[in-house]
Amino acid sequence: MAQPFAKKDDDRDEEAEYSPFLGIEKGAVLQEARVFHDPQLDPRRCSQVITKLLYLLNQGETFTKIEATEVFFAVTKLFQSRDIGLRRMVYLMIKEISPSSDEVIMVTSSLMKDMTSRTDVYRANAIRVLCQITDGTLLAQIERYLKQAIVDKNPVVASAALVSGIHILQTNPEIVKRWSNEVQEAVQSRAALVQFHALALLHQIRQNDRLAVSKLVTSLTRGTVRSPLAQCLLVRYASQVIRESANNFQTGERPFYDYLESCLRHKAEMVILEAARAITELSGVTNRELTPAITVLQLFLSSSKPVLRFAAVRTLNKVAMTHPMAVTNCNIDMESLISDQNRSIATLAITTLLKTGNESSVDRLMKQITNFMSDIADEFKIVVVEAIRSLCMKFPLKYRSLMNFLSNILREEGGFEYKKAIVDSIVILIRDIQEAKEIGLLHLCEFIEDCEFTYLSTQILHFLGNEGPKTSDPSKFIRYIYNRVHLENATVRACAVSTLAKFGATVDSLKPRIIVLLRRCLFDSDDEVRDRATLYLNTLGADGSVAETDNAVKEFLFDSLDIPLVNLETSLRNYEPSDQPFDINSVPKEIKAQPLAEKKAPGKKPIGLGAPPTAPSAAVDAYDRLLSSIPEFASYGVLFKSSAPVELTEAETEYAVNVVKHIFDHHVVFQYNCTNTIPEQLLENVTVVVDASEAEEFSEVASKPLKSLPYDSPGQTFVAFEKPDGVPAGKFSNVLKFIVKEVDPTSGEAEEDGVEDEYQLEDLEVVAADYMQKVGVSNFRNAWESMGPEFERVDEYGLGPRESLAEAVSAVIDLLGMQPCEGTEAVPSNSRSHTCLLSGVFIRNAKVLVRLSFGISGQNEVAMKLAVRSEDENVSDTIHEIVASG
Amino acid sequence: MLLAVLFANSEGNILVERFNGVPAEERLHWRSFLVKLGAENLKGAKNEELLVACHKSVYIVYTVLGDVSIYVVGKDEYDELALSEVIFVITSAVKDVCVKPPTERLFLDKYGKICLCLDEIVWKGYLENTDKERIKRLIRLKPPVDF
Repeated sequence: MAQPFAKKDDDRDEEAEYSPFLGIEKGAVLQEARVFHDPQLDPRRCSQVITKLLYLLNQGETFTKIEATEVFFAVTKLFQSRDIGLRRMVYLMIKEISPSSDEVIMVTSSLMKDMTSRTDVYRANAIRVLCQITDGTLLAQIERYLKQAIVDKNPVVASAALVSGIHILQTNPEIVKRWSNEVQEAVQSRAALVQFHALALLHQIRQNDRLAVSKLVTSLTRGTVRSPLAQCLLVRYASQVIRESANNFQTGERPFYDYLESCLRHKAEMVILEAARAITELSGVTNRELTPAITVLQLFLSSSKPVLRFAAVRTLNKVAMTHPMAVTNCNIDMESLISDQNRSIATLAITTLLKTGNESSVDRLMKQITNFMSDIADEFKIVVVEAIRSLCMKFPLKYRSLMNFLSNILREEGGFEYKKAIVDSIVILIRDIQEAKEIGLLHLCEFIEDCEFTYLSTQILHFLGNEGPKTSDPSKFIRYIYNRVHLENATVRACAVSTLAKFGATVDSLKPRIIVLLRRCLFDSDDEVRDRATLYLNTLGADGSVAETDNAVKEFLFDSLDIPLVNLETSLRNYEPSDQPFDINSVPKEIKAQPLAEKKAPGKKPIGLGAPPTAPSAAVDAYDRLLSSIPEFASYGVLFKSSAPVELTEAETEYAVNVVKHIFDHHVVFQYNCTNTIPEQLLENVTVVVDASEAEEFSEVASKPLKSLPYDSPGQTFVAFEKPDGVPAGKFSNVLKFIVKEVDPTSGEAEEDGVEDEYQLEDLEVVAADYMQKVGVSNFRNAWESMGPEFERVDEYGLGPRESLAEAVSAVIDLLGMQPCEGTEAVPSNSRSHTCLLSGVFIRNAKVLVRLSFGISGQNEVAMKLAVRSEDENVSDTIHEIVASG
Repeated sequence: MLLAVLFANSEGNILVERFNGVPAEERLHWRSFLVKLGAENLKGAKNEELLVACHKSVYIVYTVLGDVSIYVVGKDEYDELALSEVIFVITSAVKDVCVKPPTERLFLDKYGKICLCLDEIVWKGYLENTDKERIKRLIRLKPPVDF
């Protein structure tokens, strides 16, 4: 056996010996680069050394600043050589080193000479190098040459200048924008690539000018476009114009549709696919428009080229989300793709089929997928699992076969993400399909018998504790749960104890037996497990009688905390040990919306877990402490809500002021945060004079001036208003008043005498949403049902013509200031109706749930049905009043 | 934007690696992702047979040529179709320089020329030249004949 292995190693050694870069080492190559300084240059040798340097750089090796400078200076010497091959290498090398701006000067004269050379290819290369290494100032000097180069008759020179233009546009747009005329001329070039590059650049220059882009597209769709690449760009730009002019073409022919349709008959496959894709993505595309595109895509499904198959199935997959019926014709071709060698294509085919298949084809499809699952990677499997989940929601009657499939794959090998996707899917199915509950829970129980992931075991145990007791025979789950107490790690054991307690609390007949099991847990080796067992034994009543469990205990066991955990954590951290016990009601319930920037992951690939989100309640907590420390406001009671700061000044003004609205039961406090941005001034006795004549229900009761506001050190002044019950709204106009004193810039001391002055601020509004806290619920349906219909109020409203359904939905959410639940704030494009679920806590701590059903007509008239449930009937009525008057 | 062009040998060692607009800290991740993708799928693939994959909004087209596997990665306008055009130009140029589908040794022997070809084909994330005859002349600083 040892023989062949040894032989293989020998082979490898032999091969390695021949590698021209064997044992290459940066230091040695840098030494070799000294040949560039030789008075008698050896072009061949120099080229070899450059190749070695390139090899190092392409392997990810980096040069230190000093090394790079040395190499750069040495390479510039090579401009003396007349050897053409070497010169080409020198151009590349300079680009690779990217010298720093103070070194660039060494080569600019040589490059500028080359740029005006009679030899075309010298010009092209010099342009590329110069544009890569120069900054704005030098660009201005060479701009004239670049403009000439764009219209050069040699396509290589023109392309070099145009692609340079695309790069320079990122850093010095104002320079490139001056080249419009030349680029326009280049768009008409007879050279295919020049036209392609010119079109890309021209579009980038004019991208913010809709009319210009529209003109460009109109003229080119009528003219000749020589390269398929340019044609693809044109198709994209045309569909952009269609998209942007969508509102103006409600009726009649869609502009450029004929052009797109004609591209479906283009000789280049690339163009055909691009056009088909553009047609499928048209907003509000009709079946008549869609058919020719789907037909060509169907043909590509059986192409011999994998890229075309992939492109076609990827496009059809997208179409299936919005127009599943249009894609059904392709189902037969798609089924044959399940066995495609390329697994990306197979996965896309399967997920498309799952979206377009009908109820009768489900079983056949599942059989095919089962074979397929064994030989694809986890990331593809997750996509399939998600598709199966949506299929099951579409055809609930098929839950049995789909649930069986999920439980089968749950037993197979797989990583955490994959298993989590399956468990999540089963949980969702159990939640939404009543009949699937028992069988689904049993599948999960079997899974935790042999589950290597603590996170999943605890998640399932928690879920089991909530759902298991509601089944017809809860006792059958106990064995699985109690096994965990013996066989698992402490985290899972503790969780199993909680689950047992939930069964004991809900199912009275099981209670005595559960108590016996819990007693055994008192001897566990882990503190947390013992603590939990003790706690539950006490709450359940350890006498073991078959008595009904107290409601308070059930609430304690089952009700969620209703407080965001981060808020609780912050409050606990801020709590200082004293005689007064920690009051859980003092924890703010508000969920602060994440800033937009955090939500958008800028195309970054998820490599690891991101940084934990910052505590959202920190600010609310700080406000609470700040306000309660001010005697004037101490009697106002518990702070209900603090708004986000509203800017009352433009950016970069002398005095920057924003305001935070603090809402109490009977009061509103405006906290004006002021910053003085003038170093030569000191402001004293700063107040805000508020005119509340447009907010008649509010009456000013207190004002707390700011004694001194030095430069760049923010301070606050407050004004408090009394308000009646209900949700009074109004507009407040504000003037900042102060005494200004000059400050001596050398000594930093202020003059004794000051001058009174004032500064007009923007108006401020108190609106209905200010009286609502954004508090989410984890399961809207459960919350809705447990709230009961007692104080339900339902009414219908016409919202008039709206830009879109999404716009109407977000306007109502903003008006009410409530927390959207379960992602229902997102409206799928093209949908004509939408349901949005909101939850919140209204002033005086009344929980409110809102169900909004929207519909949009052909003329964009939006109608809305509003159903409100609340703990207080007045609150339900108030929500309707807010909507009616909004 | 063409995010990356990468060449690796049959054992997954990198021969050429050129990134555009990819942050330095993500490059290593991309490298291992691509090499793994190749190891899983390129076994038994024919020369120049294209394989394709996508990850979120990023597309990858890859192939094998002799002992060398080639990967191109793009996003936005460089979708799978544009990338297949790019990889076609790259494979033709490499074949042209090496005269045949290269062994690793042959590839390394022609390393300098291959770098020059890549420089003509892709410049900072944009496709510049597509015609192999023209590229062949340009890397020797000869003007193109077709205009």
